[in-house]
Amino acid sequence: MASRDRGQGEEYARPIRRIMVVTLIVFLTALFLLWRIDSPRAERFRAMLVDKFVPSMDWALVPVTKTVDMVEGFESYARIYEQNQELRRELQQMRAWREAALQLEQENAKLLDLNNVRLDPALTYVTGVVLADSGSPFRQSVLLNVGARDGIQDGWATTDGLGLVGRISGVGQTTSRVILLTDPGSRIPVTIQPAGQRGIVTGDNSALPPVDFIEDMDQVRPGDRVVSSGDGGVFPAGLLVGQLVTGPDRRLRVRLSADYERLEFLRVLRSRQAEAVGPPGGLIAPEGGPPRPVEEEAAVPEDEEAQVDG
Amino acid sequence: MADVVVTRVWRYRVLFVALTFLIIFARLLPLDAGPGRLPGPDLLVCLSFAWVMRRPSYVPVLLIAAVILMTDILFMRPLGLWTACVVLGSEFLRAREPFSRDLPFFLEWFVVSVVIVAMTIGYVAILALFAVDQPALGLTLFQMIATCLAYPVVVLFSAKVLGLKRMAPGAVDQLGHKL
Repeated sequence: MASRDRGQGEEYARPIRRIMVVTLIVFLTALFLLWRIDSPRAERFRAMLVDKFVPSMDWALVPVTKTVDMVEGFESYARIYEQNQELRRELQQMRAWREAALQLEQENAKLLDLNNVRLDPALTYVTGVVLADSGSPFRQSVLLNVGARDGIQDGWATTDGLGLVGRISGVGQTTSRVILLTDPGSRIPVTIQPAGQRGIVTGDNSALPPVDFIEDMDQVRPGDRVVSSGDGGVFPAGLLVGQLVTGPDRRLRVRLSADYERLEFLRVLRSRQAEAVGPPGGLIAPEGGPPRPVEEEAAVPEDEEAQVDG
Repeated sequence: MADVVVTRVWRYRVLFVALTFLIIFARLLPLDAGPGRLPGPDLLVCLSFAWVMRRPSYVPVLLIAAVILMTDILFMRPLGLWTACVVLGSEFLRAREPFSRDLPFFLEWFVVSVVIVAMTIGYVAILALFAVDQPALGLTLFQMIATCLAYPVVVLFSAKVLGLKRMAPGAVDQLGHKL
């Protein structure tokens, strides 16, 4: 009985199976095209699925991670004495710096008070635990256990308390993805202090991301501090990114201040929408003042173009 | 009798899914979040191909597609493209499985490596064609070579630990049908 069914089935099974495989390939290709054409929608879909899937593995991810960390910590007991000495020396140095910082803070507060400066209200933050990484050596991102439920929004900056780590890209209900500065898709506008040169830190999958588009290379040197510049209004200004170093290929690169080896707790900074400053005329001319001449506005870009051409 | 065969097939399918989850889980652990590490082999591809070359009925094409598509989603890869490559590769091997039963292992390894290389080249070329940002070519090639090198290990694991042997030429199942 069964053998006769199967004998008949085999004649039909082969073409049907072929149609199924072709349909599958067409479906997958369509999915890829959809991802390429409407990337934000596809990425939202991805964030939704990740949001469903990864937290359900949370109960296993956290203990295994902690256990491996503990084993690694245990190995370092072997040289606990040297470590202790090292830490004592560093602590001594830190005390000296703390003293200096306190004095400077007092002085700064005094000066600000004298000048009647109004500061940006301090950034508040949400702290999240790193649940998982991207799982691929080609993408540098981590998944946090805070999401839309906690008010996280796309584009917010993330630090590890000291240095900038990355920005939020992809928010699910209970999880959100942080694209690290080292990811090939990451571009962050920065200022190089003390010269004040602008540049862009471009992730390239290496531990030391390069800085591109520096105007005047003579004014910057290895060792300079790199902070976020807030250009374009997507990022709060003044967050420490790292220190400038010269890479093996003679390019200027950033040694990141954030400890990328130990990403465990991350702070997501709640940044408000940057207030846009309209055309300068709006600030200077009184309300309902004389209408601004139109020709002038139109003439300016032309002049600039001519200069660029020439 | 038929129940025994069916049960065994399903047992191995469940085992395949379980192994998949284990691999994904290990990859997602946030232990090596830092950059600058060399990529390891793509064990899922090795596992799928090793099983297709031994018992094609244990890994139906839909199962392979579902599993790889899930890793596409979780590992932040472009959706669907790598899955399509793996499905095409596995179908190619599946069609040749009956003829390769009496080949020595080195030839099987060579054929699988050629398929993996072709898949990688196709994947990279299509991504370039669609102007998608790609990781450095060196890293991709390194992963490709690592995957080819890991194939014998996965085969050994499947054979020794999971008891998945290559079928003899002209093998029949318990009902006397050609496999």
